[in-house]
Amino acid sequence: MIQVALSLLLLPLLSAIVTLLFLRKHGNIAALLSVATAGGILAFSSYLIFGNDTGSVFAWSTPWFSLSNWQLDFGFLIDSPAKTLLFVVSFVGLLIHIFSLGYMADDKAKARYFGGLSIFMFSMLGITLADNLVMIFVFWELVGFSSYLLIAHYFKTDEAAKASRKAFIVNRVGDFGFLLGIIFTYWTFGTVNLQELSVTANLDPSLTSTILCLLLACGFIGKSAQFPLHVWLPDAMAGPTPVSALIHAATMVAAGIFLLIRIEFLFTAEAFKLIGLLGAVMGLYAGFCALTQRDIKKVLAYSTLSQLGYMAAAFGLGLPGIALFHLMTHAFFKALMFLGSGSVIHACHHEQDIFAYGGLRKKMPITAYTFLIGVMAISGVHFLSGYFSKDAILLGAYNLDLVIFCILYAGAVLTALYMFRLYFLTFCGAARSKSSSEAKESTIFMTGPLLILGVLSVLGGFHALYPSQIVDFLLPDIARVADMPNHLWMNVLGLVAWVGGLVLARKIYGAQSGDKDPLAENSPALFQLSNSKLFFDEIYSFYVKKIQDPFFRFLEVMELLFISGLLVRGSAGVAALFALLGKSFYSGKIHSYSFWFVSGTIGFLAYAIFSGGSN
Amino acid sequence: METVTPSHYLCLSLCLFSIGFFGVLLRRNLLLVLMSLELMLNGINLALVNFSRTSLNLDGSIFVFFIMTVAAAEVAVGLALLVALYKRRNSVFSEDINLIHN
Repeated sequence: MIQVALSLLLLPLLSAIVTLLFLRKHGNIAALLSVATAGGILAFSSYLIFGNDTGSVFAWSTPWFSLSNWQLDFGFLIDSPAKTLLFVVSFVGLLIHIFSLGYMADDKAKARYFGGLSIFMFSMLGITLADNLVMIFVFWELVGFSSYLLIAHYFKTDEAAKASRKAFIVNRVGDFGFLLGIIFTYWTFGTVNLQELSVTANLDPSLTSTILCLLLACGFIGKSAQFPLHVWLPDAMAGPTPVSALIHAATMVAAGIFLLIRIEFLFTAEAFKLIGLLGAVMGLYAGFCALTQRDIKKVLAYSTLSQLGYMAAAFGLGLPGIALFHLMTHAFFKALMFLGSGSVIHACHHEQDIFAYGGLRKKMPITAYTFLIGVMAISGVHFLSGYFSKDAILLGAYNLDLVIFCILYAGAVLTALYMFRLYFLTFCGAARSKSSSEAKESTIFMTGPLLILGVLSVLGGFHALYPSQIVDFLLPDIARVADMPNHLWMNVLGLVAWVGGLVLARKIYGAQSGDKDPLAENSPALFQLSNSKLFFDEIYSFYVKKIQDPFFRFLEVMELLFISGLLVRGSAGVAALFALLGKSFYSGKIHSYSFWFVSGTIGFLAYAIFSGGSN
Repeated sequence: METVTPSHYLCLSLCLFSIGFFGVLLRRNLLLVLMSLELMLNGINLALVNFSRTSLNLDGSIFVFFIMTVAAAEVAVGLALLVALYKRRNSVFSEDINLIHN
């Protein structure tokens, strides 16, 4: 078992190293190696998932290093939630690797791209398997790094270069809080091992505190791009589309939710409530922003933010199983839609403006219908995967916390609206630009994963279809929600939400002809408000430019004056003075040497005579 | 006519020593520096003989023989070095053998 786990973790690292060292010039071999690695990952993780009974926990650890009496372990903890995420990561990962073969077919830097994917798989599997917080943190930083690497794939464009920096820096803010949280945890509990933590926290619930939970949740807020650190994710869409699908939709951003589930036992009631509210507000806010985006990938990015908000809300309601369930179904349909958008972008020669699309359904039927499945799934159309997970969240919220329910429900209506807007503008009506009128259906490498993900998006909500090892963690919470009242009422409300969104989208965007957003003409105030994204970017850049920069310039001057000027240069100056003095003796002139020699002798003689005289 | 007293010898030896001393300090030609060194030694020899004579003790005179031997050896080594130096650098002036460039 342990050999399999180790090989699972080291396989993608090995692939990345081989790519880096030997295959930089051989893009095609690197691509095949990376896809083969993803296949190997799926095989190894299947063995890990199905290799033992449902509910059994595999834990293993070995000392990594120790500092005096503090020892850090390197270990694996493969329990039920880890198995679910392992399945999502390796399965969706493989599909996206295969899709990349088609999407990146004529890219010049294939080796760099696929090497980056392998590093990402390594780090993501590390987070999934890690058994202590420090190890999670290490891999946490590694996914941040690989995300940076892959967003900046088209580093020659200014947009991608800026976006990658932004993602990296915003994530640092969150990770700083996470690190403080880990230190605080160690200080309070004396351990960072998850299993030991859970035992200690269950024995003495008074040890934990809201501030500790919130510090640890900072990691989640940064990585899952939740309020107030959500600004990096829409910009991260500058990376290649399969990367957006893998990292910024299906797995890495979902790692934040996984982290919350891993440390659930530490959470206090207030922290749960706060996370729930934060998630719900994010669900509504991101949906509102998505309404007016013109870039197909940015719509999907805001939709991801919104769905992550739903997961956080589910967690905050005390339903971590449902959160993980939604994470899984979301991974399927969001990866499907991102890959679908990738197929569209590839066919339209990297045109990303949805108002320049139109009429693609007839030209790219497979992409269009699988995309429609994704849209319906995320909107919560009955009996598709999104319906089961999202309506479980809504039903839970309805019975547990009405405020969160109202926010989430408004978000659900918006979800249906902006998703169908995207669908109508992209695939229906007539072609509105040259690139979209010449589009052709993509190759089998791209449509194949779309079809598989399409099937999963339809059937992914039936938890009974999964092997019990995968859904073991989800079942108790699903059963709990199933026992709640108001099922019929919720079904009606859900129906109203998605039908309402569909009808509204059809009415506003169904007969689009020009490239002007109809919302901007009909209600400019609403359009402006949504398009401004409530000014978060502006507020942050104002803060950085007007408050942070002057402050640090002040510090810089102080540093120049006192530390660099007075202390460093000052002491160096004193030493230099002595050096000048000493240097003047070494003239290389024999006369000055003999002069000093003679005067030294005379000096000693004089000293001997005069001090001898006084004795 | 005044007689020659030990103080006169002492003065002469001081003069010899000083001429040698300033020769060493001020001359640029290394050959002359070497000669000035010899002059200093001879000034000291004269003083030693003078003291030996006035104190009726042969220690000083014996010392002079040692100094003369050492001086002869020193001149032999010094001249040899100087010749070697001249072959190498075509000069016996002290500023030409300065290896520190600053």
